[in-house]
Amino acid sequence: MDAFSAVLQGLPMTLTLTLSAFAIGIIGAVPLAVALTSPVAPVKLVARIFVDLVRGVPIIVWLFLLKFGIQIGTFKFNPVSAAIVGLGIVSVAYLAEIYRGGLQAVPRGQLEASHALGLPQSSTFFGVVVPQAFRIVSPSIATYLVGLLKDSSIASTIIVSEMVFQSQAFARQHPTVEGILPYILVGILYIGLSLPVAYLSRTLDARMRKAVFA
Amino acid sequence: MTVSATTDEARASHVGIKLNNISKRYGDHVVLDDVSLNVEPGTVTALIGPSGAGKSTFLRCINLLERPDSGTIRVAGHTIEPGKNVSARDLAALRRSVGMVFQSFNLFPHMTALKNVSFPQQRVLGRSKEEADERSMQLLERVGLKEKAGQHPGRCSGGQQQRIAIARALALDPSIMLFDEPTSALDPEVGLEVLSVMRELAADGMTMVVVTHEMQFARDVSDTLVVMADCKIIEQGDPRAIMSDPQETRTRRFLRAVLER
Repeated sequence: MDAFSAVLQGLPMTLTLTLSAFAIGIIGAVPLAVALTSPVAPVKLVARIFVDLVRGVPIIVWLFLLKFGIQIGTFKFNPVSAAIVGLGIVSVAYLAEIYRGGLQAVPRGQLEASHALGLPQSSTFFGVVVPQAFRIVSPSIATYLVGLLKDSSIASTIIVSEMVFQSQAFARQHPTVEGILPYILVGILYIGLSLPVAYLSRTLDARMRKAVFA
Repeated sequence: MTVSATTDEARASHVGIKLNNISKRYGDHVVLDDVSLNVEPGTVTALIGPSGAGKSTFLRCINLLERPDSGTIRVAGHTIEPGKNVSARDLAALRRSVGMVFQSFNLFPHMTALKNVSFPQQRVLGRSKEEADERSMQLLERVGLKEKAGQHPGRCSGGQQQRIAIARALALDPSIMLFDEPTSALDPEVGLEVLSVMRELAADGMTMVVVTHEMQFARDVSDTLVVMADCKIIEQGDPRAIMSDPQETRTRRFLRAVLER
């Protein structure tokens, strides 16, 4: 069970990367999604360019750029912070695009009714639009989280000791057939971590649907 | 002093609306061409006409869901010129006095019927939850849907949803109600429930402007019939007189199409 304990050593780092980047994304994407749907053309354009730029470049390239390409004075990213910032920025861009889709999927009539009733803008946004948009995007957010969990393994390339990095280290030390074992275990662990997210998301979605239609 | 106070009060409960020279175009496409309408307090005005005439656009200009390019709107002591900058205060005052009911109901699907009616009261009028809920229950009872208070709109029929939407608009104590084809999305039998609520409202002296294809309703309930065609009002007056003896050829053609089918 050496292989298993080696892989497990990377688990806290995998979770740290995933949850930190997800937290950055979930919050940072809100203003960006609002900007993406802004009626002010320059605001929308800047947001659009940011999203397309970030999404257009592979995560591994972002991580290398952040880790090795940035030096401000004496400041340089250490591997973990480069990974968190990189995965975080990418999450901001992807989640903003998901939110935008949700915001725009709320029927126009909902806004018209809110305007006709004279609801203040904040009540319209937080009381009418956001709850409906959240119902629309919650499965996509969960899907993104599962993807992010697996993408966090890319951090192994900039020497962050998460699960895949630990597997590689073990494999290097055991150049026999045993070297494949940590990869099998890490695969199973990723599945084990993804399943509860997918399950929770489905339960939440079903519950929200039931609340509205039952 | 007392006399003027009472007349003011009487006027406050019966508010009319004056629209002058409203024009609207999308690019080169004219939708409203210099339309004026005077709605007397406590009266029902029915807007009829062929589709594409600009009826709905005109109605939506009254509460500025559509922004006319020019013209003036006078309501409840406020004069609004939508072609120029409209202050947030004037816009709020306008929407406070004018309630609206849509063809597609536009209830909030994530709220129960009760919350649909209470939420705007809390946010717009600052009523407490208890006050709002009490008023909502009165109104839901008035439209015959007290037992649906705890249901989400998805669980209500179209006619029920439209009556909830009417209750939601009434809960903000508007002086004028706009109805944009309120029964067009409903099958005829269900539409009757909605029309009967509207008849009661009219009988209570609510000022109403109704875009409709329900000719019976227009004839029996409205005080003024307004016929629109080609972005203009082509005829207006007593509904019975217009329906039995239209002056314009275009009106005659339209009425023949809707009445003799």
